[in-house]
Order: sequence, then structure tokens, then C-alpha cells
Amino acid sequence: MTDQLGALTTIFTEFYYWITVVLMFLIHVGFCMYEVGASRYKHHQHTLMKNTMLIPLVTVTWFLFGWWIYWAFPTGPGLAPSIMNESAALITDESAFSAKWYVPTSDLMAVNLGDHISGVFWAAFLLFSWTAASIVSGAVIERITTFAFGILAIAIGSVFWTIDAAWGWHFDGWMLKLLGYHDAYASGVIHAIAGGFALGILIVLGPRIGKFSSSGEPRNIGPRNPWLVTIGLFLIYTGFWGFYAACNIPIFDLGPEYGMEGVTYWTATNIYVTPTTLSGITMNFLMSLSGGLLAGYLISGKDPFWTYSSGLAGIICASAGNDLYHPIQSMIIAMIGVVVAYKMHYWVERKFKIDDAVGAVAVHGYAGVAGLIICGFVLNGYPSSGYSVGAMWVGTDYAPINPLGMFIGAIIMFVILGLIPGWIIAKILHGMGKLRIPRDVEIAGLDYNLLEASRNDEKAVSSSTR
Amino acid sequence: MATVTNWIDHLSAAEVQGAIYPGVGTEGVLVIIALIIWIGWHVLQDRAESEHLSQLARKKHGANDHKSNITEW
Repeated sequence: MTDQLGALTTIFTEFYYWITVVLMFLIHVGFCMYEVGASRYKHHQHTLMKNTMLIPLVTVTWFLFGWWIYWAFPTGPGLAPSIMNESAALITDESAFSAKWYVPTSDLMAVNLGDHISGVFWAAFLLFSWTAASIVSGAVIERITTFAFGILAIAIGSVFWTIDAAWGWHFDGWMLKLLGYHDAYASGVIHAIAGGFALGILIVLGPRIGKFSSSGEPRNIGPRNPWLVTIGLFLIYTGFWGFYAACNIPIFDLGPEYGMEGVTYWTATNIYVTPTTLSGITMNFLMSLSGGLLAGYLISGKDPFWTYSSGLAGIICASAGNDLYHPIQSMIIAMIGVVVAYKMHYWVERKFKIDDAVGAVAVHGYAGVAGLIICGFVLNGYPSSGYSVGAMWVGTDYAPINPLGMFIGAIIMFVILGLIPGWIIAKILHGMGKLRIPRDVEIAGLDYNLLEASRNDEKAVSSSTR
Repeated sequence: MATVTNWIDHLSAAEVQGAIYPGVGTEGVLVIIALIIWIGWHVLQDRAESEHLSQLARKKHGANDHKSNITEW
């Protein structure tokens, strides 16, 4: 970097994404606390370690192939030509945003004086990956093996969500061009897919012992430590601030980018390179959180677990269009999402005997799907991408945001890239006898040996006199 | 192994080389090592977990037996 303004812009952007990564780390802290608080004492430590170990597993695989998938797959492949090289093949050519630069052997995947952005951008996306895997983690507690969860965490965190991000969360993604898909803060690309993936696993995994009576009536296995759950959800809210900021490009001159001669227009943009403001999305974040809490408090009869979860569900439902909504629209959409998530959770539980231990499928999956569908109506007609301006794509114009495209997008996220892969991988693991812990272990508790060893240690210490 | 031995020479070159980590050019070997560590971890973890679960299952503890192991709240 040799000119001062260019250097300031670059290093501001680098620092901006770095801050979002640190904030998003709190999402994972929150998920760990939340899951431990929701699990029973005899499974606590195993529950904690299962969620913790997704961090290294998803990180290493994200380095090895997850990041490459994001840059290689925007065209499908084979569904819509790229605006960069006009080919519908995998994007692995010499162009600026090619996956070629993000293979693990690339010298850009390391300390490189010529590139201040790739590493922090890689990390911001990685933290999204942890979130996707962590959403799944809560649903399956107290009966899945750590081995199976590790494989499933890699599948959702480093493969399937990154495919959906390439398709629907990349400026060159085919879902933008053909469907008019718009999902500014990831109602679908993180939440709907992770909820669907969790549901696919739960269908194969089955409920915890005792969850349903012999007549099929669901029993409540409520959180064992509501305070830990509460703090955990507050931390997830906090990390979500970083998540929202990370979904933006902080500073961009849209004039030359859109091909407007002589026009300079500096602004923040969403991931699709259309303008928004950090200021406006902050209002929307808070109003959708509020809408979620208001609706959750009423519909759940003041239940703290559901009220807090509803705050999250509210944000998730409004997230697809929170770059453009009015704050009151955002609040109302959040309230609708909470009602959908809450009602669907209990209906699915009763009807299909699905034991979603923390309501993850509801809060992330159903609220995310509802958010995508609503976005299609409320933002109907807006451009889905900055590159739909002018003749930047040779195929035809990008489709504008529309209800049908968003509905199809929701199906792709929840069912095609979420539920079906989750179900298939869980079936394979089940066939190998690796999915679920033995019945006797579930009854005794996964931590039995650890607790017994602690008791013996304690006994030895307390009986000693010197 | 050192890619840079003199920062002044490095930064005043006509074209500054971006990659400054030790062993530029050995990335392929590093990736193979990372793959072995990753897959190897799964193998070792699975082996340890299977052993732990089958040992625990054999003992057939009751649902509340763990409570006698809790020493302090």
C-alpha cells in the first residue's frame, strides 16, 4: 500500500472485520452455556465438550476446503453463468474472485503483505460456520455420539452452508440471478439450513428416553439451569451484533462499481453490494429483538426459556430484509416469526414425535423460512444485487426480489441443502452404529465415569490429614 | 527456511513479495500434514469414545446412580 487513503480504507476494513470476529466469538460462548443449561446434570460435561470440539473441526476443514467451496460454487455449477468469466463452470480461473486463490496451498491463505482482507473475511465466514454447526448441536444433546456430531458439524459447517452461501449469499450467486433471492443477514443461509439439517438428523436420531409417554404424549424436559440458559442467550444476542456487522461491506464506492461514469458514492453495503447503513440495520436489529420478546412473552405465558428464544427467533425472521425494512415492519415481521416458530415446534413435536431439545429447529429453521417468505412480499421489486444495475451480467437482468423466488429459496435452504443432507448423513452414521449412544449409557449419564472419578478424587483428598 | 532476512531490502524491492512465512513453497507438505492430523484425530477420538461407551454400558447403572457421585454443589 503506497497511498494513504487507500491504506486507511484497507486497514479500516481489515480492523472492522476483525472486530466482528471477536464479537461473534460470543455467539459460541452463548451456545455452550445455553446447551449446558438445557442439559441434565449427568450429561453436562459431555454436552459442553461436544459443542466445544466443533470449533477446531470446522475451523480446520474450513481452511482445507470450506472457503474454497464458497468461491468455486456461485454458478451452481451449471445453473447460471458468472458475471466474472461468463462461464457456468466452477469458478477456478484466474479472475480476481476465483476459488483458485483460496485453496489451502495458496500463499494468500497465510500472512501476506499483499492482502489484508482475505484472512479476516475468511474468519468472519468461519464464525458463521460455527454458528450453523452450533445450532444443530443444541437439538441433539444427551444422545448423540461425539464422533457422529463431529462429522455432522463438518458437513453443515464446512460443506452445506458454504454451498448455500455461494448460491444465495455471493454477489455472483445463481439464486440471485434466477430467483431474485435476498437474505441480507442470513435468515436462510445460516438459520433455515441449520434448522432443516437438525430436523433431518432428529428424524433418524429419535427422542431422548422418557421424552414421550407410552401413549405418545410429550413430556417436558425443561432446562436444568435457567440462569445459564439466560446468560447464554444474552451472549448470543451480543454476538449477533457482530454477525450483522460482518454481513456488511463497511465502505465501498458504488459509482465505479456500478459503471456510473463520473459518479462517486461511498457507502456501506450488504453482501450483495447494494447500499444500506450500519445505523439503520442497528435500529432494525433492536426492533426485531423487541418484537420477538414481546410476542414470545405473551404466546409462551411468560416462560423465560421461550421468551429469550423468541427474541432470537424475532431477529432471525426479520434478518432477510433488515437491510431495507422500516423498524416497525421489522418488529411486526419478528412477531409473526415467533408465532410461527412456537406453534410449529409443538405441532411437529406432538405429530411426528420429534424431540428438539432446545427448540433449535423452531427458532432457527421455521423462523428463518418464515422470514424468507415474508421478505419476498415486503421487498417485492427491489434489485436482488448491485450487479443487476446496467448490463453487468450477459445472461439477462438479475431477477428482482419476488415472493415466488424467495419461497423457492426457502425450500432450497431448509429442505434441499438442510433436511435432506442431514437425514442422509445421519442414516449412514446410524447404519454404521455410530450415531446414537447405547441405551444404558443414556440412562446412566454420559458423565458417569467422570463424576465417579471426581468422587474418588474428592474422597481421597477429604480423608487426608496432611 | 527464512523468507525474509532483511526488511529494508524486502520492502524496497521493485515488487514486494507478499508471502513472508517461513518455507514459502512448502504449502503442499503442510496441507498433507494438516489432513493427517484431522483424519487421525477422528480415528483416535472414535476409538476412545467407543471403548468408553461400551465400558459404561456394561455396568448398567440406574438413572439416578450418578447422584451418589456428586460430592459438592
